[in-house]
Amino acid sequence: MTHTQAPTRRAKSAPPQRNEKLKLRRAESRAGYAFLLPWLLGFFVLTAGPMIASLYLSFTNYNLFEAPKWIGVDNYVNLLSDERFIQSVKVTLTYVVFGTPTKLLAALAIAMLLNSKRRGQGFYRSAFYVPSLIGASVSIAIVWKAMFGDAGPVDQFLSFFGIGLGGWVGNPNMTMPMMILLTVWQFGAPMIIFLAGLKQVPAELYEAAEMDGAGWGRKFASITWPMLSPVIFFNLLMETINAFQVFASAFIISGGTGGPAGSTMFYTLYLYLRGFGDFRMGYASAMAWLLLIVIGIITLIFFKTSDKWVHYSGDEK
Amino acid sequence: MISRRNFITSIATGVAAAAMLSACGKSGGSAGGGTVENPTVLNYTWWGNDDRAERTNKAIALFNEKNPTIKVVGTFTDWAGYWQKRATEAAGGGLPDVMQWDLSYLRDYAKRNQLLDLSDVGVDLSTFDKTLLPSGRVNDKQYGVPTSTNAFAIYYDPAKLKEIGVAEPTGTWTYAEYKKFLTEAGEKGAGKYNGSTDFTGIWWQFNIWLRQNKIEAFTSDGKLGFTKDDLRKWWNLAADLRGTPAIISSDKVTQLLPKSPFGSNKTVSEATWDNFMAGYLADSGASELKMVPVPSDDPDNLGLFLKPSMLMVASAKTKNADAAAKFIDFMVNAPEVGEIFKTSRGVPASKTQRDGTTFDGVDAQVVAYEDSISKYLSDAPEPPIVGFGTLETEFLRIQEELNYGKVTVDQAVDQWFTSAEDVIKQNA
Repeated sequence: MTHTQAPTRRAKSAPPQRNEKLKLRRAESRAGYAFLLPWLLGFFVLTAGPMIASLYLSFTNYNLFEAPKWIGVDNYVNLLSDERFIQSVKVTLTYVVFGTPTKLLAALAIAMLLNSKRRGQGFYRSAFYVPSLIGASVSIAIVWKAMFGDAGPVDQFLSFFGIGLGGWVGNPNMTMPMMILLTVWQFGAPMIIFLAGLKQVPAELYEAAEMDGAGWGRKFASITWPMLSPVIFFNLLMETINAFQVFASAFIISGGTGGPAGSTMFYTLYLYLRGFGDFRMGYASAMAWLLLIVIGIITLIFFKTSDKWVHYSGDEK
Repeated sequence: MISRRNFITSIATGVAAAAMLSACGKSGGSAGGGTVENPTVLNYTWWGNDDRAERTNKAIALFNEKNPTIKVVGTFTDWAGYWQKRATEAAGGGLPDVMQWDLSYLRDYAKRNQLLDLSDVGVDLSTFDKTLLPSGRVNDKQYGVPTSTNAFAIYYDPAKLKEIGVAEPTGTWTYAEYKKFLTEAGEKGAGKYNGSTDFTGIWWQFNIWLRQNKIEAFTSDGKLGFTKDDLRKWWNLAADLRGTPAIISSDKVTQLLPKSPFGSNKTVSEATWDNFMAGYLADSGASELKMVPVPSDDPDNLGLFLKPSMLMVASAKTKNADAAAKFIDFMVNAPEVGEIFKTSRGVPASKTQRDGTTFDGVDAQVVAYEDSISKYLSDAPEPPIVGFGTLETEFLRIQEELNYGKVTVDQAVDQWFTSAEDVIKQNA
């Protein structure tokens, strides 16, 4: 009670004013929550609730019609001996391991090109960003399917160079490269983030390095890469998580079957087929939780190893 | 003056009021015994393409006109989305009043008490052939009424055969002769045409072959009626044709989807149901296609049967059972409906509808085919076991791996039996 002086002097008018303020603040926050309500409702009813329900269901046998039957960890145990599950893990891992780094390298390379001062740069930036805006849509997967089909543009182009691969869509050995090309082509989002990161790198560093006679490779390895590492880390994390969850493109290109010969049977597609095709909701829920756990572990590993190679400015390391 | 708080409150009240109003509207509409001013609303859903939608909407309009106290409201989706929607609705207790149905899913829903027993709610069943009704029956209750029938056939394109100089099939053939035909067509097709898609990938042709060998596909207690050896024999039947021009390669089949190789003019023949005729003609642009019965090594037992191409069912929870029955009766028995659909659903199943419909052109061809095989027909199959949809999909999928050379016949047989046993165990 050391600062009683000032309030007492305005004792007469202060309390009502404060009340008024409090009232106003309370009203404001009430209005704030009211505006948040749709989102909060959405979160609890459509995200958190179903997640908890699916955790329970993953320990049951549930076919949508009858009450779930508790079967303990059977679903998780059965996964290990399910050949199609193992196939889906293989397909997804191949996609993540090859697709994500390729996509990020492409994004970084283009971002560096677009970072230089050149006439019409704004146009190029938009042009390169466009594919990722439409890339996730259904239509583009359909276009992809047509492009890589028998006698499609890709086949014709390659035949021109004497490489006759035929249609990629029907060939189990070529569907994965096709899927990876599809994701690489959608490099726009990480590219924009890289571009923003590149703009933050102080030009003095490059000038100083040039004075010392550093070449292009040296500048990239000693300045660009370390200065950009937080952005690379962010992109790597986000793209890896996204890649694990690829669904729509595989669903459309294979017509919902994961074919040909299981070559596009991605994890989420198999999950979907199990749940909504075979009505094995318990099994599908177990798959969903396993995926969540695996992504969680991978994220954790990324964070744990990040202090070895990610440098934040102002950080002594 | 509207304050911010008032504004929000009024929105909230508005939303709540709207929700209550719509809830009232629903219960008001479904409280049976409709009048002309306030007709009973009946929800009907079906799967199909635009052509079927147009025909169905015509039939609904006709029904609504004839029954002013009932208002049928129709919705439709494609085949794949259809079953996912029904499963979700059934889980939430909100199946539509009346639905178009497929034999493969009848037992699943009947066994789980989702469907209405139509035995004595006013659907005239006396117009149906006695051998046909069991396919809509589960545990002695008539859950489904067939709208129409189809029979299995081998289609071929006479113009293409003439073009490559291969004689048309006569209609009686053994599997050896069938294979010879495919081989010859494949060789003379010289890259332009193949013989057919791999006929061993179709569950129903396997079923017919089992019947030719006097084996039932499923036992009455919901187990498999055939052995691994039987399936191995079946898949080996085309072993020497896979990878030759007789059978179109799987990578081509995949790329042609959703059209069939036959409809895309890549093969000269195809084995499937006889009501695909109009679709094939439209897809391929051929002027004429012909059908012959499936091959059999026993000329007196072709293993053929009429299968309900689709059924009409009602939800067990419908509040308007009488109106639902009236609509189903109309759809399966009214000659006017037969005139609208012709053979696009298959040949009308009820005698009144079949006799009351004039068939010409392609439709007459389909009816003539079913007449020509009538002496070989055995009883329609009972509704397959619970989970059959999965087994059928697996059959096709594993057979595709076989065609890609990813698995041997022995491995394929083991894989299918593993998943079949799993499905049967799950639904026991």
